[in-house]
Amino acid sequence: MTSHKRPSRRRVLAGAAAAAATTTLAMPAIVRAQGKGPLKVGVLLPRSGFEAGIGQDCQRGVDIAAPILKSLGLPALSIINGDTESNVDTAREHAEKLIEDGAQLLVGAFDSGQTTAIAQVAEQKGIPLVINIASAPQITEQGYKFVVRNFPTVSMLLNDELSEQKELFALVGDEPKTAVFMHVNDLFGTGMSKGIHAMMPKYDLPYKILEEISYDPAARDLSVEVTKAKAANAEIMLVVGRLNDAMLITRELVKQRWTPKAILSMGPGWYENQYTKTLGKLSDGPMSLVPWYDPNKKLSKTLEAAFAKAYPDYNLNTNHVFTFEALLVAADAYKRAGSTDPKALAAALHATDITDNVTIGPGIKFDANGQNTGVRCGVVQNRGGKQVTVVPKEAANAKPEWPMKPYQSRA
Amino acid sequence: MSAISLARVAGGASRRIFVLLALLLAVLLAAPWIANDYLLTVLIVILYSAFTGQAWNIMMGFAGQLSLGHALYAGLGAYVSAVLFVDFGIGPWIGFLAAVPVAAAAGAIIGFLAFRFGVAGVYFAILTIAFAEFARIGFDHIAAVDASAGLFLPVRQVAHNDLWHLRGDPTMFYYVILAATVAAFILCRLLLESRIGYFWRAIREDEEAARAAGVATFRYKMVAVMISAGLTSFAGVFYAFFYNNLFPEQVFNIGRSIEMILGPVIGGIGTLFGPILGAFVLTGLAESLNAAMAAFGLDMPGAKQVFYGVCLLVVIVALPQGVWPPLARRLGLAKDKP
Repeated sequence: MTSHKRPSRRRVLAGAAAAAATTTLAMPAIVRAQGKGPLKVGVLLPRSGFEAGIGQDCQRGVDIAAPILKSLGLPALSIINGDTESNVDTAREHAEKLIEDGAQLLVGAFDSGQTTAIAQVAEQKGIPLVINIASAPQITEQGYKFVVRNFPTVSMLLNDELSEQKELFALVGDEPKTAVFMHVNDLFGTGMSKGIHAMMPKYDLPYKILEEISYDPAARDLSVEVTKAKAANAEIMLVVGRLNDAMLITRELVKQRWTPKAILSMGPGWYENQYTKTLGKLSDGPMSLVPWYDPNKKLSKTLEAAFAKAYPDYNLNTNHVFTFEALLVAADAYKRAGSTDPKALAAALHATDITDNVTIGPGIKFDANGQNTGVRCGVVQNRGGKQVTVVPKEAANAKPEWPMKPYQSRA
Repeated sequence: MSAISLARVAGGASRRIFVLLALLLAVLLAAPWIANDYLLTVLIVILYSAFTGQAWNIMMGFAGQLSLGHALYAGLGAYVSAVLFVDFGIGPWIGFLAAVPVAAAAGAIIGFLAFRFGVAGVYFAILTIAFAEFARIGFDHIAAVDASAGLFLPVRQVAHNDLWHLRGDPTMFYYVILAATVAAFILCRLLLESRIGYFWRAIREDEEAARAAGVATFRYKMVAVMISAGLTSFAGVFYAFFYNNLFPEQVFNIGRSIEMILGPVIGGIGTLFGPILGAFVLTGLAESLNAAMAAFGLDMPGAKQVFYGVCLLVVIVALPQGVWPPLARRLGLAKDKP
């Protein structure tokens, strides 16, 4: 064994370790405020790690919330940010930390696994948790008293995405008879594929899936897959994927001179900012079936304006609106509870009945399990680098462009 | 523990080490009275890393077999105990008894394939990764464990801690993982002091020479893999009941395997204190960086990881054998034995 005598480095290391230990152990004791003043809200999002992009997108919904909530006459929130680092262990640790730092209510955390870990801490500590985004149904099936969720569960999503296809076909007066289905072969894509196949008969959709093509989410080239899809000669294309493959498929469609009658995406990617910015006019046409905001609602217009002012290079999307609404729910409950007492806050959360909200659906109202059963998906279409809502009728602000304008005819 | 076993555990250790260990144990036992729940959760993460690091160290540190797929054994432990609990109402301790042979069998299969057919070094490491990846993809498609949608354990609200079903507050989980870490430490010490420990070290230093000296290298490498896998499965059981949700993408992820080896690598591979010290250094550093950034009002997601990486690099460059060996020398604890 080689001996390494580097006393100066050791001293540095020892000093660093001592400083680290001191800093960690000297966490300030927390006095939980009871009474007037802003509600301390701990927001936990995956702002670093593999989900960093989405976590930071959700954070934009937090950053624009304060003046809007104030304009609604709601009490102020004091936000304490936490980063789950896209990791279940860290999510749990940081939930504990935010509560120790005085958080009186938690909001988060985009990912179902991380949210489950946070929910347990919230329940154990008796601190309310408002889930912004997470779709695993089990989270609200545990009998939690302090957890509410304003986002559809997986089955709610699938039900909406399939039923709204029929609404879309009725609206355009065209029932496609054939489809080709392309999806990523990761857990999201395969899970969606299974769900779609299982639930299709229930909705009696007019088309038959001629070909199902799965591909690697990290694929750098999808020319073969798109050639195969084109060869199926289907009327429409169903897709379940993400940003990277959405761009690859579009480029291949242009290259191979094939424009299906419609591209229906049941997932992220096709409505995302980078997709529309990178592809310009070629991004127009695809429709996404996703939980979305109702552009006709008054609060949506306010949120859109505030968002456009703060982030002129971004379009308002699901991540922003559901995170904003989680804060809206928190502020509304605090106002009605009139106290930071966790039980009073939890009771107020369960009694939530907000009709002046942002997302599609009648409003925000939680069932006995803390699940908002009224939240609905929408069909949004890319048009002119932005998204317009075409389904459901009550949330629509544009008529669907059907069939898609051929890629070749776009200047 | 019999007097003979105690003597074996103590064998060759200096009085100073015992004092140090007793002090450390006393501090750790008293921690729940001093620390708040956040710090207690951090300590749970530290002890969890120390435990898994100790289990991994048996294979690499003692027997010289590099595994980069230990998440497989933790994942199997997690899923076996969780399925028994969710579907049959069988508690985690019996689940653990079922998980050990499953994980050990998985280790035995990998070990057999590798050692029988001469797959060694980095190729063995690749084989371990391949099996963990195989499990990840496989579990993503097993409907009985809810596939990619994740397996959720029902969370019961209990007025009192229920140790038998591992349902309770962080203090209970803390003492469970502390007991497990102490048990793993004693087991590793016993193993190192036994004949098998000497055989492992002979294999680690020079397998050909060990074989020439009459050591049944295949058999003892198999034993190392199986003990290491079985021990790691407990970490999985603990994980399942502490976090209450299992996703194949997270549980079997290669990142998990890397996390397991970081503690011993930083602390000192092949040493008994290395995995424990490494876990304290790594998690302590990460949490201290969080606290420091918060104290300076910095809200820069990702900056912590960059700084953390730089710190690790510094430790690795400055202390290539890990933190423990030079620290032991400085404290006058260094002996020939690890």
